[in-house]
Amino acid sequence: MRILLVEDDELLGGGIEDALTRARYAVEWVRSGPLALAGLEHGDFDAVVLDLGLPGMDGLEVLRRARAARCNAPVLILSARDTVAQRVAGLDAGADDYLVKPFDVDELLARVRVLQRRARGATSNVLEHGSLRLDLVALSVTCKGQPVVLQRREFMLLQKLLATPGQVLTRAQLEESLYGWNGSVESNALDVHVHNLRKKLYPELIRTVRGVGYVADPPA
Amino acid sequence: MKPRSTRAVLLGGSIVVLLAVLGAAAWIGYEGSSDEAAELFDARLATSARVLAALLAAQPAGDAAAPIVIAVPAPLEAQPHDQPGPLGHPYETKIAFQVLDGDGRLLMRSAAAPPAPYAPPAPGFSTQRHAGRDWRVFSLPSGGRWVQAAERDDVRGELSGKLALAAVAPLIAGIPLVLVLLALLVRYGLAPLAELARRIERRRADSLEPIALPRNTAEIVPVVEALNGLLERVQAAMARERRFTADAAHELRTPLAALKIHAQNAARAGSDAERQASIARMLAGLQRSVRLVEQMLALSRAAASLTPAPQDVSLRQVVEDALDDVLPTLKERSVKVSVAAEPSVADFVVRGERDKLTCLARNLIDNAARYAPRGSSVRVELAQRDGVASLAVWDQGPGIPPELRERVFESYYRIPGSGADGSGLGLAIVREIARQHGGAVRIAEGAAGRGTCVRVTLPGVPG
Repeated sequence: MRILLVEDDELLGGGIEDALTRARYAVEWVRSGPLALAGLEHGDFDAVVLDLGLPGMDGLEVLRRARAARCNAPVLILSARDTVAQRVAGLDAGADDYLVKPFDVDELLARVRVLQRRARGATSNVLEHGSLRLDLVALSVTCKGQPVVLQRREFMLLQKLLATPGQVLTRAQLEESLYGWNGSVESNALDVHVHNLRKKLYPELIRTVRGVGYVADPPA
Repeated sequence: MKPRSTRAVLLGGSIVVLLAVLGAAAWIGYEGSSDEAAELFDARLATSARVLAALLAAQPAGDAAAPIVIAVPAPLEAQPHDQPGPLGHPYETKIAFQVLDGDGRLLMRSAAAPPAPYAPPAPGFSTQRHAGRDWRVFSLPSGGRWVQAAERDDVRGELSGKLALAAVAPLIAGIPLVLVLLALLVRYGLAPLAELARRIERRRADSLEPIALPRNTAEIVPVVEALNGLLERVQAAMARERRFTADAAHELRTPLAALKIHAQNAARAGSDAERQASIARMLAGLQRSVRLVEQMLALSRAAASLTPAPQDVSLRQVVEDALDDVLPTLKERSVKVSVAAEPSVADFVVRGERDKLTCLARNLIDNAARYAPRGSSVRVELAQRDGVASLAVWDQGPGIPPELRERVFESYYRIPGSGADGSGLGLAIVREIARQHGGAVRIAEGAAGRGTCVRVTLPGVPG
């Protein structure tokens, strides 16, 4: 799952990046309004965490323009502006949620999970596939009731595939959601992760679509 | 000690003065009237004597062996008091007379007169005591005889007392009325003062609107104006304090949010490496929060007025102290500072508070070092010309666009994208301190169109 973090304060941004990364999200962090807008218009993000007081362009303006450009990524505003009028303005500009600073990390993560749930029309924080269960809160996976230990990127890949069962995801989409813009990807890294997942879980979980990418078919 | 009441002083003073003056006037009036009455009675006595002498001139007056006694009817006592009647007047005195021969023997007397001569014959007025009573006597020589007319002194005294009393009575009767009017006047005159006190007393502690009295006097207007001026200043100061607190709370939010998130990250870290990284960031956040709070306090202290006893402060010394203070920042950012002074031997003395001026210089140099690139150099320039001392700091940073050169002095304003871990208070502090020393701050472009030059000008002390 890939998140765009927009925050101009180095210290705070670093903290949020750490928290999201440790919760196994791929985080892209930008520090100005124009960069945020560019990221929203061209990137494929599962959620956006948006500060409002930004250099170059105010966060609200970024949001309005992104929505006008038909960018539908769920947005959570994170701001020190705490009056009712300010929160209403943020939500009306197109935000899906609003969190006032200073906030609790657990609450931030919970709200990001809510955005994800809503995006896939679910009400549960557990992704299921046959006898496979992926718990987004505990960051754990069980198969046939037995816990399975997954590496960070394996977990991220599995989460991405299970979020849209039956939908073929391209190699580029999957690589981006694992490594973001900055990570250097070795050409076969994705295949290695898929191989490991098949081995640790069960082989028929992930189907290769030759020349395109991978898909987790809905269980029969 | 209870302060004396103005009303009591005014009223008490007026009453004492009034009573003294009225009393003196009454006493003088009384005495004057009595004297006049006595003169009148004497004159009447003399007239009576002369009429008697004229009547007796052609008459034998008896002899000393058998003096003639003439009965004069007494005045009508039945007359209503003070009212003249058809047959006399109640003020008629009991007149008595005696006629003596040349040797002082009694020849004739009225019935009311004593059988012995009043006095040895000597011309003029005298007071004689006879049979336990004082008599006023007038002796008139007339053709070898003496005519003596007399009246009882106590009766005269009673009459002249009545006369004099009638003269001063209205004066005394008016006193209570005057006192009442006086009390009302004083009360009316002091009413605006009482009203002012009442209005101040009724106020709540936080109600600082100006006071308006329904009726003003020339004396109360300056008091009310001074009071309203004070209220206005207090209100402005309170608004400033409130804004300061609100701003501070708002500004502390972001660093606190950062601290909290790093602390939570550290607590939930999956590995030692993660925990160490979070703790390191937390410490950085703490340092920044500490600096923010220090700058808030510095601004608050800078906003307090100068001490009433400013000293001569050398700007050269101030810059040296400030450089010592910012040494860690300079080292961390590998920034070099050069100091130039023109004229090179001057001390650049200004009047003020050394601590505040050091704070001013520290903020200027710290800003320059913080926002300029690593390894760049900062130039500090001291100058004195035409009685004005100036301190200028040049940096090689990104510069401040002209349209923001006023805004950067606002509290908590940070230029967006400027790396922003500053407090946004440095230049606000600089301007406040410069203002208090009667100086000014201006921002200009740096050398060769690059970076920034911040120049503080202060009134110099000659010498």
